[in-house]
Amino acid sequence: MTDIAENGTEAVRGVAVTLNGRVIDAQPGELVINAAERAGVYIPRFCHHPRMQPVGMCRMCIVEIDTGRGPALLPSCMIPVAEGMVVETESPVTRKAQDGVLEFLLVNHPLDCPVCDKGGECPLQDQTVAFGPGESRFVEEKRHHEKPIAISDVVQLDRERCILCDRCTRFAKTVAGDPLISFVNRGNETEVNTFPDHPFASYFSGNTVQICPVGALTATPYRFKARPWDLDQVESTCTSCSVGCRVAVESSSNQLVRYLGVDVDAVNWGWLCDKGRFDFEAVNSENRLARPLARQGDDLVEVSWSDALTKAASALGGAKERHGSSSIAVVGGARLTNEEAYAWSKLARSVLGTDSVDAQMGDGLPSDVVLGLPRATIDETCAAGTVVLLGPDLKEELPILYLRLRDAVVNHGLNVIEISASQTSMTRYAAVSLRYRPGEAAVLVQELFEHAGDVDVQADLGRARALLEANNVVCVLGRPSVAERADSVVQAALRLRSRVPGMRFLSALRRANIHGALDMGLSPGMLPGRVSLEEGREVFTEAWGQLPGSVGLDTAGVLRAAAEGRIQALILVGADPLADFPDRDLARRGVAGAGFVLAVDCFATDSVRQADVVLPAVSYAEKAGTTTNIEGRVSRLHQKVTAPGTTRPDWMIACDLAERLGGDLGFETAEAIWDEIERLAPAHSGLTAQRLASSEGLEGIVAAGPSSILETTMDVTATATLPVDGYSLRLVSTRKLYDNGTLVQQSPSLAPLAPGEVVRANPADLDRLGVASNDRVRVASSRGAVVAPVEADAAVARGTVLLAFNQSGSGAADLIDVSLPVTEVRVETVGIGDREVSG
Amino acid sequence: MGYFEGFRITFKEMFKPRVTTSYPEELRPKPERAHGRHVLNRHEDGMEKCIGCELCAGVCPARCIYVRGADNPTDAPISPGERYGFVYEINYLRCIHCDLCVEACPTEAITESKLFEFSFTNRADAIYTKRELLVGDDGRPQRLPWELWSDDDEANTSAWVRATASSGRADYEGRVGWSAELGYGIRAPEVGQAGEDAVATADDRHGHGDDVGHGHGGGH
Amino acid sequence: MAVTDAPKLITARFDQEDAHTLAGYESSGGYTALRKALGSAPDAVLAEVKAANIQGRGGAGFPAGTKWGFLPPDVSPRYLVVNGDESEPGTYKDRLLLERDPHQLIEGVLIASYAIAANQAFIYIRGEMPFAHERVAAALNEAYAAGYIGRDIMGSGWSLDVVLHWGAGAYIVGEETALIESLEGNRGMPRLKPPFFPAVKGLYMQPTIVNNVETLSNVPWIVNNGGAAFAALGTDESAGTRIFALSGHVRRPGVYEVEMGKTTFRDLIEAPVYGGGIRNGRGLKAFIPGGASAPWFYEEHLDLPLSKATVDKAGSMLGSGAVVVMDETTCPVRAALRVVRFFAHESCGKCTPCREGTNWLEKIMHRIEEGTGRADDLDLLLDVSDNLSPGIAWPPRQTTICPLGPSAVSPVASSIRRFRDDYVAHIDQGRCTHD
Repeated sequence: MTDIAENGTEAVRGVAVTLNGRVIDAQPGELVINAAERAGVYIPRFCHHPRMQPVGMCRMCIVEIDTGRGPALLPSCMIPVAEGMVVETESPVTRKAQDGVLEFLLVNHPLDCPVCDKGGECPLQDQTVAFGPGESRFVEEKRHHEKPIAISDVVQLDRERCILCDRCTRFAKTVAGDPLISFVNRGNETEVNTFPDHPFASYFSGNTVQICPVGALTATPYRFKARPWDLDQVESTCTSCSVGCRVAVESSSNQLVRYLGVDVDAVNWGWLCDKGRFDFEAVNSENRLARPLARQGDDLVEVSWSDALTKAASALGGAKERHGSSSIAVVGGARLTNEEAYAWSKLARSVLGTDSVDAQMGDGLPSDVVLGLPRATIDETCAAGTVVLLGPDLKEELPILYLRLRDAVVNHGLNVIEISASQTSMTRYAAVSLRYRPGEAAVLVQELFEHAGDVDVQADLGRARALLEANNVVCVLGRPSVAERADSVVQAALRLRSRVPGMRFLSALRRANIHGALDMGLSPGMLPGRVSLEEGREVFTEAWGQLPGSVGLDTAGVLRAAAEGRIQALILVGADPLADFPDRDLARRGVAGAGFVLAVDCFATDSVRQADVVLPAVSYAEKAGTTTNIEGRVSRLHQKVTAPGTTRPDWMIACDLAERLGGDLGFETAEAIWDEIERLAPAHSGLTAQRLASSEGLEGIVAAGPSSILETTMDVTATATLPVDGYSLRLVSTRKLYDNGTLVQQSPSLAPLAPGEVVRANPADLDRLGVASNDRVRVASSRGAVVAPVEADAAVARGTVLLAFNQSGSGAADLIDVSLPVTEVRVETVGIGDREVSG
Repeated sequence: MGYFEGFRITFKEMFKPRVTTSYPEELRPKPERAHGRHVLNRHEDGMEKCIGCELCAGVCPARCIYVRGADNPTDAPISPGERYGFVYEINYLRCIHCDLCVEACPTEAITESKLFEFSFTNRADAIYTKRELLVGDDGRPQRLPWELWSDDDEANTSAWVRATASSGRADYEGRVGWSAELGYGIRAPEVGQAGEDAVATADDRHGHGDDVGHGHGGGH
Repeated sequence: MAVTDAPKLITARFDQEDAHTLAGYESSGGYTALRKALGSAPDAVLAEVKAANIQGRGGAGFPAGTKWGFLPPDVSPRYLVVNGDESEPGTYKDRLLLERDPHQLIEGVLIASYAIAANQAFIYIRGEMPFAHERVAAALNEAYAAGYIGRDIMGSGWSLDVVLHWGAGAYIVGEETALIESLEGNRGMPRLKPPFFPAVKGLYMQPTIVNNVETLSNVPWIVNNGGAAFAALGTDESAGTRIFALSGHVRRPGVYEVEMGKTTFRDLIEAPVYGGGIRNGRGLKAFIPGGASAPWFYEEHLDLPLSKATVDKAGSMLGSGAVVVMDETTCPVRAALRVVRFFAHESCGKCTPCREGTNWLEKIMHRIEEGTGRADDLDLLLDVSDNLSPGIAWPPRQTTICPLGPSAVSPVASSIRRFRDDYVAHIDQGRCTHD
């Protein structure tokens, strides 16, 4: 009816709907509630959520809709627009019905708004004022339940406030895939609750608090911390992992109290994982380093910045003078913003003169692979023909990427081929899940294309092969286990790429701004903007004055050299090799063997305690800058609170050190650093501060880099199966979301959630070894031994044993020797329950 | 004009009652509902009325109130309900005694006495904390050493006006909209414009829902 | 009008002792209709049922043949679901059909499934009817053993599996989409229509026909005697016979199959072969013509014929065929409270107006009946009712997902309209005036 093509100029391709007497142009298939909102008419709602399927339960959005059979009160969140539809959102009938629904909702809703965390930002309050009755006519006793019950360690449920809108239960079931909360009972007695003995232990439980339209679900870490009207808010990017979720950082009285997910299409859709949502507690921690420390005998004592910097500079300068630049190494940098990483990269290359810089802790992938392979965004991955997963358990390491992929599989039929050493949380969503023996991922990929392999996996291999025929294949590539070397995984990926034309990759490295650090050249042989040392030598020599002559050492190389006494000054920039490096023995010898250790950090970690000088750095939400996520997407960070004590931003520390070493990085502000990055780094050319600050930059802008690095460096040929020792099992070690890391351990709400050290093995293997589930076992490798309880778990592949990395206890790091391709371990019982077995 | 004519005013006034007093030895009664130093009230059972909701801090135009709530300890609750006022501070260098905090308080926890005779010698002293603001076990304001109290300062305070118009609506004139106060009991409602006739007894206060119009739907 | 001599179509075997067994059923002509149906094309069977013009006997009264015709062609699998979740207060006709003549239903299921080309049928039986469940289970086993159900039935090449499902005790599951949810193993809560009309997206999101037990029990007779013979009974608009469950203050409460359109409520209540008149010779106060959710009828409606159109026009419905008679001594407030309490108890809790509204109505009714009502309670009752069912009109409009909410409004609105004085007396005197 609105087709005005007759005059030949333009045709309205949408659906013409009459809304309150005005004809609007809606999109085909669009729901009335959304069409109205786009046209500027807000229809009140509780159960409707733009990221979930509508259910039409709360009835708040009922409006008069006439589809030709006379006006009827229909839920606008369930009805798609139709040509000629007439919608009345303000007619007396609509108003009366909405008023009635609100009164019904309030009938049993307690009026404890003054003590409710939602009071002041509550949709029920707001919509009652806007659409509801002025006074209550309900005089009877309201429905009563026990006031808040803890349904998980971080979420409390007040069933009296609940309006049963199905948002949280729908989220748990359809978005998170953790259907641990549900409606129970019926009618007026209906309530949301968990199942007996099964708490709402979901990594995504905090989202239910954010989407609850009333104060029924509240977060324990935020409980009674502030009221909405005394919150300050700034939009930023989460750096708890490298997915780069957009987040609203909120503070009250200069203290962080809450993060909320911000809905951006490209990344997180408004969701956050619980670790990202609640680890603001670490920023507020009283254990933060607030003043510089310097070693006096066995103790670290507080000193002034001037003394600390002088001491550090003289040690660094002395090392350079006496032993040459190659005796200095910089490890770490994933905690930094892009600007800070650039400043440290520049400090190391141009002032210290060393190329031994590495932001990775030996648990990632070679930087030329990460930066050099053609890349895909999250959206492109979710829309791919087939996705190959070759990396860690995404739910544990990159939770929101897991949510996005899960959505793509469940709701859009994405085909996923999983290649892993044991079952992961993506296994149930994978079209094909293939197991490889640790260290032999490349062998499996070879079998995949050569029609080899055991008979019982032939069918799976065949299906995977067929799926790889699809157009547009994306591989999510990370390090599946730190107990095997990266080579095999890299070879597997490159082989896949050589057989699947046009394959693109999405990095699954987990550490905060690791991709930004690599982009800024915090990796041996790399310079800012994804160019190799040689490629960028001319440009950067001119800009920086000087560059190291040859490629330096990576973290493993640095530690090895330090252990042999060849590193005179080791700088740890937010790095804790004693906890994070896969081979603790080497890390220990390396840190101890370095002549001088300078640590720049927020907390006194194990490694920091070994340092000679400690410089306290500002933390998240205490500094502005940019960060880069797994896709290479650059988005902005903002400062919300002031940093404790005399802490300084890392870029400023780099400038201070340069100055005392007789150099000058030439930066007065972080903005100035970005301007230089934009000018010099090829991959970031055109990514001006202005663009990032514009509306275009709200969801971040992907830095499109050159990918010429790779072709020269990688060898795709060699693959060999490793000899199998009949008595030993191969160790698989991956991270859990909650571990012994600083962020989690310094957040009181999250620390207790770390599962602790448990050995998992296939029941068949345990039978064979005569070990019973729940026994205490000794797991021994050529490096060392760990004693921990064992659990039989059929999800663990036969021939392997699973031990999470960096949990409390001695840990997998004691077992791993990074010089070996895989970690072979033997498992034996040492105790049953708490009782030790003698002999 | 004669010499004595000039003293006419003087002599005339000499025999009139004196209107000045020798303040502060002699204190004059203050007007009803004069706004003075705040008090934090308690329930009859001694529990604090403040629930730490921060509405007073939110409404304060001078930003002089700082409140933080906390989880009520279940074994020894400080106020009824889940939440209590963990920190409550008023900065009297900023307070303009507008009484909006009293209006905003959902639990009648904060009211103002009529006391204004208090002063400080340093800024920190000007910030009253919960320790000073809370009424004593007898339900009456603490008389702090640096404050000059008279008994009149506790009578007919801003709490008293709430005793007659809890929502400010004329329908409630003469009705007690005020729970019992520790130390004072239920204050008689203020006499409204209609005069003495409108005064209802305290026993009436339960029934007001019956004949006060509902005004349903007034929210639009 | 009067008692007609129409044949008993579906209650004919109620007096036959062994009708529930296969032998007994076959001995009285059982499974001949199935043989006849399998001998003709499915479309022919469908045409016969359409010709019979049989209205659904569950409550809504939608013509069954038309409903079957809604199935989209060429979509399979498709399902037939038998709604045996008979829970409307005063309704107990399906229970007897299930207990006394289970094979008749099974034969109807077989023929209907054949007509709509379904290969799987589900019989959903209310949780509180264990005896019916037992009888149907036994009958299904016999029918399977005899080859009436299973693969390649009677050599026709057509196969059917019948699944017997026992409900968990929720009234709302009588609503077809809630029944489908329950069958799928979910909470028995209705789906929204649109978009989920069962004929298009029903059980497991496949085309599904949901029919009442009584409706399907009629099918064998229709096939045996022809649709025209069925349509000849009753009137053009309300064809055939129908079972009415008569209860309340009558001398002979019970289940009676009567010819539609030609019999009146007065006949049903007063005829010696049916209700036999009101107990103790008292006068009539009101009666519910079609289950608890129907608006009430009074003296002046007694001479209305039992036909869908006329009852609808008079502002109520024949619904599930439950006629509940109240004599002059009945307290209308208490009677309405009982009905409202039932709906409040049975509300599934999915949508707000029903969950909160029915309960609120019950609370207000309760305090009026108890003598603590308030002067403005009647206006409040009507306004709350209006918020559940805008306009309190018939047929009802609703702010709820399914008609359960508006069902609770019927007794409230009916009784206030007719017996306002009784309500006022309750409030003024502060007690129930009928104690």
